[in-house]
Amino acid sequence: MRHFAFAAAVAVICALVWLTSVPAAGQSAQSGKAYTPAHTPDGQPDLQGFWTNNTITPMERPKGLGAKEFYTEEELNDLIKHEKNRVALNEEEGRPTEPGTDADVHYDFSQFGLDRGQTKEVWNRRTSLIIGSEGTIPTMLPEARKRNAAIAAMNRGHEFDGPENRPLSARCIVLGQESIPMLPGGYNNNLEIVQSKGYVAIMHEMNHSVRIIPTDGSPHPPAAIREWRGDSRGHWEGNSLVIDVANFDPRNPFRGSGAKLHVVERFTPVDKDTMLYRFTVEDPETWDKPWTGELAWSRVEGPIYEFACNEGNYGLRNTLHGARVAEEAAAKKAANK
Amino acid sequence: MSKRSFLLITAVGILLAAVPVWAHHAFSAEFDSSKPLKLRGTVTQWELVNPHSWIHMDVKNADGTVTSWMIEVGSPNSLFRLGFTKSSLPPGTEILVDGYQAKDGANLAVGKNLTFPDGRRLFLGGSAGDVKDGSAGDPKK
Repeated sequence: MRHFAFAAAVAVICALVWLTSVPAAGQSAQSGKAYTPAHTPDGQPDLQGFWTNNTITPMERPKGLGAKEFYTEEELNDLIKHEKNRVALNEEEGRPTEPGTDADVHYDFSQFGLDRGQTKEVWNRRTSLIIGSEGTIPTMLPEARKRNAAIAAMNRGHEFDGPENRPLSARCIVLGQESIPMLPGGYNNNLEIVQSKGYVAIMHEMNHSVRIIPTDGSPHPPAAIREWRGDSRGHWEGNSLVIDVANFDPRNPFRGSGAKLHVVERFTPVDKDTMLYRFTVEDPETWDKPWTGELAWSRVEGPIYEFACNEGNYGLRNTLHGARVAEEAAAKKAANK
Repeated sequence: MSKRSFLLITAVGILLAAVPVWAHHAFSAEFDSSKPLKLRGTVTQWELVNPHSWIHMDVKNADGTVTSWMIEVGSPNSLFRLGFTKSSLPPGTEILVDGYQAKDGANLAVGKNLTFPDGRRLFLGGSAGDVKDGSAGDPKK
């Protein structure tokens, strides 16, 4: 197939260009000195362009690795090799599911370019995104467990009552990877940064949403004002963009967080094609201590494509209609008894 | 088992566990696992919309009548990046669909696997090159 040949050729060229090791935090590859990014005309470090944060490093350290925070170079190469072998297989061969089960009801992601291994992946030696010897999300407080159980119980048995009962992602309101902190999802992990005086804007391809981050020193709005992805206020510390995010809407929780979720993000360019993204999450009503994760963003080719999620979201209608048909059938069956 | 193999298997196990949540909605809420189907027909339209594109196809029944089906498939963004465009699947193309029917019993299905009559898969992109980010992973720094 011509298009396949074209895609394969592009992939080979990209592999040659991208399969390079990049330098340590804040240091350029050749000199080992701190990297100084270009600056915008008004003097901000210039982070503009197209980026991806696509990685398969898990949030939490896999069980059995203990306090091992980093793989050796050899172990990392094994992981990469394993991932490449997996991607070379299609979904059916590589990840078979039992026919007739809910798990089998999906399409072959690799067939539709939705396997994250089919796009550029950023690798590093971390065993988990969460840094430190523990590598896991801290213990959830008992009151937070209770709160989350109550929320889950409220919707139980009403999951298909109407659109409001469906998950935010199924309604195209806010998807996982556009939420804060910014972590990759299965596909479309493409971002664009644009800067102007006093503002940084970050657009995520998944749902085509734009975060507008004032860097003018203005404060967060009053606590009563809540946003799906919180309110972001940025400032520059040397070459790093630091963003303080508060005023989250608890209806879009992050890993079970509540109304007091607070996130601090730090973007640090380490060479012309790489940025480190570090996030610290705290919520005194959810975890017993703050926790921090780190991953890299790497430059990709633009542009960002449209993702007009609501325009084509037939799935929501089909799901709700399926529930109505099932209810009707159940009522008929009951009447005939 | 060597320590290295153990680490690898552990890490890979975590990755596999993440697979079912990739889609923006649970397919099992929309389609019925007890209604598997196989369809053979010709493409009449490919709606390249997000969050999922839809292939419209005509399926000839045994009695000579024709039934139109809509098949839910992948997001166009990813396919476009891998070199697939609307012209990659022109109307009139014969395809086979292996999937599951919608819960409401309508002529809608999730296209689990799509193939040409000769067995080739309809869309199959290659994998792009990666970058090693030593910056976040070097304990010596």
